[in-house]
Amino acid sequence: MKSVGFLLAGLTMSAMAANTAPDFDREVRPILSDNCYACHGPDEKHRMAGLRLDVKESAFSESKRGKIVAPSDSAHSLLYLRVTNPETSHRMPPVSTGKVLTPQQLDTIKRWIDGGAKWETHWAFTAPKHPDLPDVTDKGWVKNPIDRFVLARLEKEGLKPQPEADRITLLRRLSFDLTGLPPTLDEVRAFVNDRSPDAYEKQVDRLLASPHYGERMAMQWLDVARYADSHGYHIDSERFMWPWRDWVIKAFNANMPYDQFTVKQVAGDLLPGSTIDDQIASGFNRNHMINFEGGAIPEEYQAEYVADRVDTTSTAFLALTMGCARCHSHKYDPISHKEYYQFSAFFNTIDEEGLDGREGNAKPFLKLPTPQQDAEEKQLTASIASTEEVLKSDAVVKGFEQWKESLLAKTPVINREGLIAHYEFDGSLGDSSGRYENGRTIQGDPSFGPGRIARSIGFDGQTLIGLGKGAAFEKNDPFSIAVWLRFGGGKQQNPVIERIADSKTRRGYEIWFDDSVLVGIQRRAAHIELRMTSDWPNDALVVRSTDRFTQGEWNHIVFTSSGSEGGIRLYVNGKSQELVAVAGKLPQGSISAPGAEIQVGAKEPDAARFSGSLDDLRFYNRALGAEEVRYIAVDYPVRAILSGVGGKVTKAEDERLHDYYMTHVASSDLQQKYAELAVLKKKATTLEKQILTTMVMHESKTPRETFVLLRGDYASHGEKVTPGTPAILPPLPAMPDGKQPNRLTLAEWMVEPTNPLTARVAVNRYWQMFFGLGLVKTAENFGAQGEPPSHPELLDWLATEFISSKWDVKAMQRLILTSAVYRQSSKVTPELLERDPENRLIARGPRFRLPAESIRDNALAVSGLINPKIGGESVFPYQPAGIWEELAFGDGFSMQSYTQSHGPDLYRRSMYTFWKRTAAPAAMLTFDAPDREKCTARRLTTNTPLQALVLLNDPTYLEASRVLAQKVLHQSSKDQAQRVKLVFELITSRSPDRQELAVLTKLAREQSDNYSHDPKAAAKFLKAAGESPIDGSLNPADLAAWTAVASTIFNLDETVTKE
Amino acid sequence: MDPLLSTRRQFFGKSATGIGIAALASLFERSAFATAKTLPGFPNFPPTAKRVIYLHQSGGPSQLDLFDYKPGLAKQQGVDLPASIRMGQRITGMTSGQTSLPVAPSIYKFAQHGSSGAWVSELLPHTAKIVDELTIIKTMNTEAINHDPAITFIQTGSQQPGRPSMGSWTSYGLGSENENLPAFVVLLSQAQAINTDQPLFSRLWSAGFLPSSHQGVRFRASSDPVLYLEDPPGMSRTGRRQILDSIAALNKMQYAAYGDPEIETRIGQYEMAYRMQTSIPDLMDLSKEPDSTFEMYGPDSRKPGTYAANCLLARRLAERNVRFVQLYHRGWDQHGDLPRDLTLQCNGTDQPTAALITDLKQRGLLDDTLVIWGGEFGRTVYCQGKLTEANYGRDHHGRCFTMWMAGGGIKRGNIIGETDDFGYNIVSDGVHIHDLQATILKCLGVDHTKLTYKFQGRHFRLTDVMGHVVQKALA
Repeated sequence: MKSVGFLLAGLTMSAMAANTAPDFDREVRPILSDNCYACHGPDEKHRMAGLRLDVKESAFSESKRGKIVAPSDSAHSLLYLRVTNPETSHRMPPVSTGKVLTPQQLDTIKRWIDGGAKWETHWAFTAPKHPDLPDVTDKGWVKNPIDRFVLARLEKEGLKPQPEADRITLLRRLSFDLTGLPPTLDEVRAFVNDRSPDAYEKQVDRLLASPHYGERMAMQWLDVARYADSHGYHIDSERFMWPWRDWVIKAFNANMPYDQFTVKQVAGDLLPGSTIDDQIASGFNRNHMINFEGGAIPEEYQAEYVADRVDTTSTAFLALTMGCARCHSHKYDPISHKEYYQFSAFFNTIDEEGLDGREGNAKPFLKLPTPQQDAEEKQLTASIASTEEVLKSDAVVKGFEQWKESLLAKTPVINREGLIAHYEFDGSLGDSSGRYENGRTIQGDPSFGPGRIARSIGFDGQTLIGLGKGAAFEKNDPFSIAVWLRFGGGKQQNPVIERIADSKTRRGYEIWFDDSVLVGIQRRAAHIELRMTSDWPNDALVVRSTDRFTQGEWNHIVFTSSGSEGGIRLYVNGKSQELVAVAGKLPQGSISAPGAEIQVGAKEPDAARFSGSLDDLRFYNRALGAEEVRYIAVDYPVRAILSGVGGKVTKAEDERLHDYYMTHVASSDLQQKYAELAVLKKKATTLEKQILTTMVMHESKTPRETFVLLRGDYASHGEKVTPGTPAILPPLPAMPDGKQPNRLTLAEWMVEPTNPLTARVAVNRYWQMFFGLGLVKTAENFGAQGEPPSHPELLDWLATEFISSKWDVKAMQRLILTSAVYRQSSKVTPELLERDPENRLIARGPRFRLPAESIRDNALAVSGLINPKIGGESVFPYQPAGIWEELAFGDGFSMQSYTQSHGPDLYRRSMYTFWKRTAAPAAMLTFDAPDREKCTARRLTTNTPLQALVLLNDPTYLEASRVLAQKVLHQSSKDQAQRVKLVFELITSRSPDRQELAVLTKLAREQSDNYSHDPKAAAKFLKAAGESPIDGSLNPADLAAWTAVASTIFNLDETVTKE
Repeated sequence: MDPLLSTRRQFFGKSATGIGIAALASLFERSAFATAKTLPGFPNFPPTAKRVIYLHQSGGPSQLDLFDYKPGLAKQQGVDLPASIRMGQRITGMTSGQTSLPVAPSIYKFAQHGSSGAWVSELLPHTAKIVDELTIIKTMNTEAINHDPAITFIQTGSQQPGRPSMGSWTSYGLGSENENLPAFVVLLSQAQAINTDQPLFSRLWSAGFLPSSHQGVRFRASSDPVLYLEDPPGMSRTGRRQILDSIAALNKMQYAAYGDPEIETRIGQYEMAYRMQTSIPDLMDLSKEPDSTFEMYGPDSRKPGTYAANCLLARRLAERNVRFVQLYHRGWDQHGDLPRDLTLQCNGTDQPTAALITDLKQRGLLDDTLVIWGGEFGRTVYCQGKLTEANYGRDHHGRCFTMWMAGGGIKRGNIIGETDDFGYNIVSDGVHIHDLQATILKCLGVDHTKLTYKFQGRHFRLTDVMGHVVQKALA
């Protein structure tokens, strides 16, 4: 990449005699910084020979061999002698650095020394002074002071500015710059016909007042603030930060002064009387990526979050590359390693966790209930409290205790009639039915843990047990199978109990979990099935529960069969439940499997085994009645607990006893209250999940201490530090005794008029938005390695004006936009192009391809498809299938697959497109949008064939073309030229000239020929162009042809360019 | 008549607007892909490889079950990993809570192959046949212990997001050798293993702070192999050509009026887009490959989007001189059920991987194509979860793992590095991620310390401030 510092130096040289002393700040320091500072700069650890070339005292000091820099005497300046030493081994910079000074650079150093070696402190670290306006010759061209600075420079270079652009071009430029949208034809006509002297200024004011102004300004700020709708690391699931995004839009629309805009985002949570909005604003520092990858180390990521806040805050407001001092002192700018950690201490004290965000926002976050939700929540909380009060009264507690006493140590009855196998799983696989069909472990290792009655048996997906050869049933035999079951998850079919002859016919019976779906974060739920099989799958009965059973939850399941057709029943937790008959008839053939073993956890090779737990498994050779089932499921476990079979009653068991007591034993009044409480609590949980939250900054009650991290390693603590700012910048205000400065102190310090950076950085960003490049091209870096400003006095004038206007953003932008500089035509001659390819001198108007968002928004706007709604949840416009899914973690988390929006949400402005960081909107990335992983202060603009493909083939643009064609076919006469004119004007705001008209009329004719000869193609083409309705009143061939014409115009360089 | 010629003639016919004929003429000679240019001074020395095919095995294949043979472990089954071996090194949160870290010896048989005598397990019978083409590095190492930072590290040189990927660096430094295809192509395939839960991120082929024209272009197994490549249904090629001619004619008028060279670039890009619409489907169309090809790569190679089909595509991309082909294959994260899932993975990848090497060799392409195989880290010698005779799982392990390189400039039949008896630490010749990256660039003729990009005031490079070329790997 061509260095602009060099270019500027070149430009200056062209205008001045070659022996004039170069400007130190602009021309000499960049050479020293880039080539020398790594070893002779601020980083004390890597400094060579004790020499610094970033500090005047050291650079002008005298060494044993002489002066480093001897003013006006390059021949006796060691600096010059070393960089020009003919002996490679003695020449600086050393060969090993790979750096070589060019002859021009050597000449610059020589001229600087011989010209007196004037030294200046780095421009960006000195507060801007209000400069006098320079004199210019062509006073008539000047519209405001900005023009004086630019023109003075042009006159010095012997260049003339371009004339003002025509009104159509100007209004398009202004509209895209201030709203990100094109002007309507009516707006264009109004401006073109406005004869008043301030016609242009009125347009600027109109657009500054547009509600879309805030959106356009936010577009740029979202890059800086690395805004996204997903967490970014690894699984990259959903977060909710759009309330913050909407706050930004509102702040711009309300023309919030920039100092407040800064303070609220850096420390809104700490403002005295901080409002909800202030707290939302502080989410600026929560937009960073957040991780919860399994096995990651929390401290490592918490350190990353803090580092990101430091990077983003310092880049966004100060254009400082603080991050370069994370591992060692900054190599180029005076920021020490310790100062970096002092600065980071401001951001290290919030109430956050290193690994968080599995289910939406990571803490700390702020709940944002709607007024209705707020009222509902308060009411629920009150109702729950009052109900609980009744239920916790002494009398109730006493009644419960007495009831427990009455049943203590009494063995409950087990109904043994027809009980042919009974596995209690209290630590063994023993059969307690009296038949002693004891079980065995076949594979793996079952585990015994807390159960529903004493202990239960657990299966880890790798375990198989056998439970003897009893419980053989034929299809006409009555039977019951009762068991406590806990589903352990798994995507695939999950076999629980089976007694089958072989895995091919599967003759016998089986109980399975099947058809599992996700019901939460990594939580699945599945149906339970009973299968009675003679020959799988042709001759089998399959019945399935209507409800699904959630992973991790215990349920009591009983299948009973009367042995006759339609005689299968299912009971869940003691209650009869409807069955779905997948194949409801009893098998034709026998299901008898003599000699087969009952197995739990069985599987086919290479399929998943059962994962989950079982307790109290019983087989009866008769169909249990409803009351018997209820007893086994509801009463028996409670009695068993109280009997002491499982030892001391645990807390969890006591809660179950309490639940039983309140549901079955207590007075009917209490039972009713208890049921009401459950309903209230469920409502509260549901409501809680519906309430929107947004992440904010919130100080922890026990703030973390901050240490210097050696080599930037989170685990290598050095010296402990307290919050502070780099010494090169003005000091923080004196704090009252014993008080530490906090983020609010920092925020207010940043917007002190004495801060040399904040105002310059802000006005430079506005300049960049309107001119494509900032006055300082490196908008992200005002340090020694950044590029010096092209117009330093202008930058300082704007910065000081900005401060004295009380940081009035719209006024500052109005000033820039009403200058003659901004209004120039962007046409360029080959001579000027060669002289100043990047337009750093601004001898012509800005000409840049539109940002990604505006390219699409333009198409939506001119076609009329656009949905102008401002703010709200992000949306899912057209996107080629599979882009998310092919990269995603899979299931169990949010936003792993893309569900496209329909209707009006398809046509929201591009800034509302859901931003998933690991698979950001593909078409926008193609047009140079960043992936929003890190702070981006400046987008680079590329020009690639992939962009052509998007504009040609993305249904977004085809739909805009079709809808526009519909409009044109309705509005204009049948005259081809009239139609071309209208469609061209709607897209470009201007009439085509004769040649353009000729090209497009020819195209319209060709396309009409194509489609009238191939109506099927026309129909297909129209159908592919988006979801909005096709106007059936139009001839499809006509519509297809004019869609193609409109698409052609959407592809023009002019359409995607701010002229 | 060539439509471009006719518009060209019209164009020159009306160029009375003060733009020099020479400037106009250059319009049609420019290479259309923005990445086509080589940086001045590059390559720094004669390259041994013109292009790279990087077969990234995402998730972290178990070196202990594939390449790093540790016969002594059989006697250590179930024994807790000695503290003298672990040396307090950090391990992931997935196993740091285990009460013990029992050694899980590989259940697979190893044998020596080729004249180099490299040990390869029975899971990779096809790779075993090509070991004499490879440099096997048993001592790769990384600081990262989790997927996101580890894979970001090996692809971009930094554990944290924001840097350009290796392919982007290559595109930026060396440009494209094919005017009709991007310099950096990305291919993805899905796992064979049953437990597969590893995401990928577009940042892995992102251009980071480099211009976005250097980002990897995904070629997908669909009717639209590159996003938006295919014309909409109902649009004929004639119709498309008419549209493109009109766009070109109108853009040329705009250029005549404004003189902005971006307009001439855009005109070129539309022509390039048109050419891509034929060159890419042609590339992706495997129908003309003989049956013998599919036999070599295995039956999966007939199914678009599989690892096998992507290996075959990689060869076709190499034939067309695409600079950097980055393939990702998921499913190597065997925390549990390793024997089941590792077998499935190997069954799905071993044959096509070996076929790619053999195929490149028989076409004379292996001499100047660098092929790399490996994951973002390896797996632990100790078991994650329950250890049984037949089943075990392994956690992430970055202290040492195995990768291999082959082709352009790489020594054949070569084994680098030694690990300790537990396959846990490096005994000699460690190769760090940055060393690997330096070596890849070296093969491409690039000095890794010279390929830099100034961003935020710093001259960034792929290898940060580290990296040494692994001389032992070079022929």
